[in-house]
Amino acid sequence: MRQAGTYSGILTGGISRRTGPHSLPLARIKKIMKRSGDDVKMISGEAPIVFSKACELFIEELTQRSWMITMQGKRRTLHKEDVASAIVATDIFDFLVNLVLESQQQQQVDGASARYGFIYN
Amino acid sequence: MEPMDIVGKSKEDASLPKATMTKIIKEMLPPDVRVARDAQDLLIECCVEFINLISSESNEVCSREDKRTIAPEHVIKALQVLGFSDYIEEVYAAYEQHKLETMDSLKGGKWSNGAEMTEEEAAAEQQRMFAEARARMNGGLPTPKPSNQDPRSKVSSVKQTHFFPSPT
Repeated sequence: MRQAGTYSGILTGGISRRTGPHSLPLARIKKIMKRSGDDVKMISGEAPIVFSKACELFIEELTQRSWMITMQGKRRTLHKEDVASAIVATDIFDFLVNLVLESQQQQQVDGASARYGFIYN
Repeated sequence: MEPMDIVGKSKEDASLPKATMTKIIKEMLPPDVRVARDAQDLLIECCVEFINLISSESNEVCSREDKRTIAPEHVIKALQVLGFSDYIEEVYAAYEQHKLETMDSLKGGKWSNGAEMTEEEAAAEQQRMFAEARARMNGGLPTPKPSNQDPRSKVSSVKQTHFFPSPT
């Protein structure tokens, strides 16, 4: 069909606009929500959508704060330590401090085993 | 990796897709900036932890209101309680946007919204294409329906029975 190009163009334009706000997979988010506690209630179909947007905003804030620390160090590569510093410096990210400590401990263990040949469980 | 490590990690199976997360992260930064892989991994873990945190709180909010299903309103309240009030405006806007889009697709795109007009536009385009094809067919070829030809032939035969023969 000669006019197929215009037709599919209209279709593609419509679809790409719609996928804008919800980039994160809603099913995956729902899965994580269900595992977050022992007796999690039923989750409405719309709740993951709200989560998806909140996650995006969260990642943006954490990334930006980490990036500011990277810039302070006059570097162009964002490292794990920058993220860790951003977490420690921000009050509302207190819930992430354990993650940072765990990863630091893991790094120490990996470093030690590399140096001394021990294998920690 | 020890076998025990693998067993432990399979319990926390659900994580967020790395490709999507990387895209979001990179869109936040200038194009020439690199993100170390371990930094990416940590950011993803943080996001999962964020979902855990907000989910727990939403669950609590839901229980306190004696409801059985966690609704967007509970999530928004949870965000507020945990210090993420800054997010609420945009989150709510995204939720409203989604509600509009869902309504449109249910009602067959009757609301005027650029994306939803595509179905109508496409349908109209299709009709135009059919009409054009029909016109081409009718103009170039004889009409296939026999019922059309009969009245015409009858008319012409009526004309021919005039006393004065009409020039054909």
